[in-house]
Amino acid sequence: MTEPPVRRQSPVAAHPVTSAAITVLFIALIFFVLYTPIYSSVTPKVGSWPFFYFYLLIFMPITSVVLGLVLLLQKRMAPPADGEVGR
Amino acid sequence: MSSVNATTFTIVVVLFVLVTGIGFAAARWRRAADMMHLDEWGLGGRGFGTFITWFLLGGDLYTAYTFIAVPALVFGSGSIGFFAVAYTILVFPIVLIFLPRLWSVSRVHGYVTPADFIRGRYGSRGLALAAAFTGILALMPYIALQLVGIQSVLQVMGVNANSANSFVKDLPLIIAFLVLAVFTYVSGLRAPAMIAFVKDTLIYVFVLVAIFYLPTRLGGWSHIFGAAQTHFTSINPKTGKPFGTFVPSSGSVGATRFDFASLALGSAVALFLYPHAITGTLAAKRRSAVKRNMVLLPAYSVLLMLIALFGYMAVADPVTSANIKKAGGNAQLAVPFLFQHLFPSWFTGIAFAGIIIGALVPAAIMSIAAANLFTRNVFKEFFKPDASPRLQTQMSQWASLVVKLGALLFAIELPHTFSINLQLLGGVWILQLAPMMIGGLFTRWFHRWALLTGWFAGMIYGTIAAYNVATPTTSHWAGSSDIVFGHSIYIGLTAVIINLVIVVILTPVLRAVRAPEGPDETLPQQYTAEPDEVRGTTPAGVGAHLEG
Repeated sequence: MTEPPVRRQSPVAAHPVTSAAITVLFIALIFFVLYTPIYSSVTPKVGSWPFFYFYLLIFMPITSVVLGLVLLLQKRMAPPADGEVGR
Repeated sequence: MSSVNATTFTIVVVLFVLVTGIGFAAARWRRAADMMHLDEWGLGGRGFGTFITWFLLGGDLYTAYTFIAVPALVFGSGSIGFFAVAYTILVFPIVLIFLPRLWSVSRVHGYVTPADFIRGRYGSRGLALAAAFTGILALMPYIALQLVGIQSVLQVMGVNANSANSFVKDLPLIIAFLVLAVFTYVSGLRAPAMIAFVKDTLIYVFVLVAIFYLPTRLGGWSHIFGAAQTHFTSINPKTGKPFGTFVPSSGSVGATRFDFASLALGSAVALFLYPHAITGTLAAKRRSAVKRNMVLLPAYSVLLMLIALFGYMAVADPVTSANIKKAGGNAQLAVPFLFQHLFPSWFTGIAFAGIIIGALVPAAIMSIAAANLFTRNVFKEFFKPDASPRLQTQMSQWASLVVKLGALLFAIELPHTFSINLQLLGGVWILQLAPMMIGGLFTRWFHRWALLTGWFAGMIYGTIAAYNVATPTTSHWAGSSDIVFGHSIYIGLTAVIINLVIVVILTPVLRAVRAPEGPDETLPQQYTAEPDEVRGTTPAGVGAHLEG
């Protein structure tokens, strides 16, 4: 995603902040699921839900929102026609 | 086993007949001028927008086997079963990185299968054949498991339990299968796309109702989690070890945190390498429809979390646990028994119909995907290079029948554990396509012969390692993880790392000896392209688009 073809001016070079933000969001999403020691515990309980289960439950809507944000940022990088080719 | 409940049975039959009607009617949905083209039969006209794609992919990825096997794993082993939840969270960010590129390049070149892309990218028929072979090999047991999912529902309903005659015993399954086979033959991908609406609605209704209703019958969430914690931390007298884990353990061997993460990561990368997932993706009309779905599909993952918790509810419900024990300890029956015990019979009917229909949608898409692989990458490539679109479509229609027949034999003739083992292996196998597929979407650096060697090594290592996994009660195929350097880790992940290391080492070697690279028919900008038209604008069609 952050490695588009090298053309006259790549979208990454044109939008360094936006592409850095996208990269950070991707890494964060993947890290906070893969790094299990953060959430692999019974306590603290949220209501009657052990933390492990509560964490997995709320992480899904969070993923959805963050990926939605990523799409918005990507749109900003490649306006208004989505592709360089074909149009 | 109790006798058949008339209410439950009637509701299941009515919903099944409804879905059959939809399956045949789908042939007329979004009708194209020439239906005898793989883009039509095999990809539904490549015209599905965000909304239909969401139902199609959701119906495709969250299979009946998921509804049966994930709670079964949770019922049997506890927290490690929740890797499936972590994996469905991980899958969307990972897939958003590479899937839109696959969609674009496939649209520009008219690729129908993942192996078509391999063929075009590396100019290698052999590598494409390896990809097609792996895909078909991984899909066969997966389809069989959909039928196994249907069987476990039928068994709890009591429709096939009491007959000694094996043909009569399997008759309901055979009927369901025949209906599936015929409407897939007639309608192609349009049938599962349309049926997915019914399937997903039923599943959403029964899971949401279950998740609010069942805890009230089982003493609330605190009792459900409490019972699970007590059960999985107590010692199994047979093995002298705990029954399972309530949260992944911090040790290095067993159901550990590391193992949990490796299973989640490996499965997440593997999911969209499965040909049926790619079929569902390529049927989308726009690149943005693919991207938007990666944002919207996690809604299904919430559902999966709730479905996984059915496993704990089965632990917390003494009647369900006793029923499972009576049925020979078959954890696959956990969800059907749970519903049968706690729901009124009419609602059990809706839930069971949801699971059965939930098996038909992915089974149809999987058989279409496997058939397309055979037609495009074996039949057309090696036997009839000048096959017209019409002939290719006919070939795929017949191949889909053969694939399903094979799956039916699997489900009926072989012990279920065999299908389950093969499906476990299927995940390991399909993951071996990651370097050539995902790697190939970003770089042409890898050499095709290096990829072939790495693939072969990964396949062999994965198969042997999975065979050697043993527990005190099972001598082979006892799980998906083995121990490497003192840590439990998912076999597929180890295998694909070996695969990748070989590819990285061999590529410079092969280049140094000037081994032929093979032509690459794709261009960098085609990976981000969004072509307007479905057909006719393809600048460099690969023969699929020669009208004939």
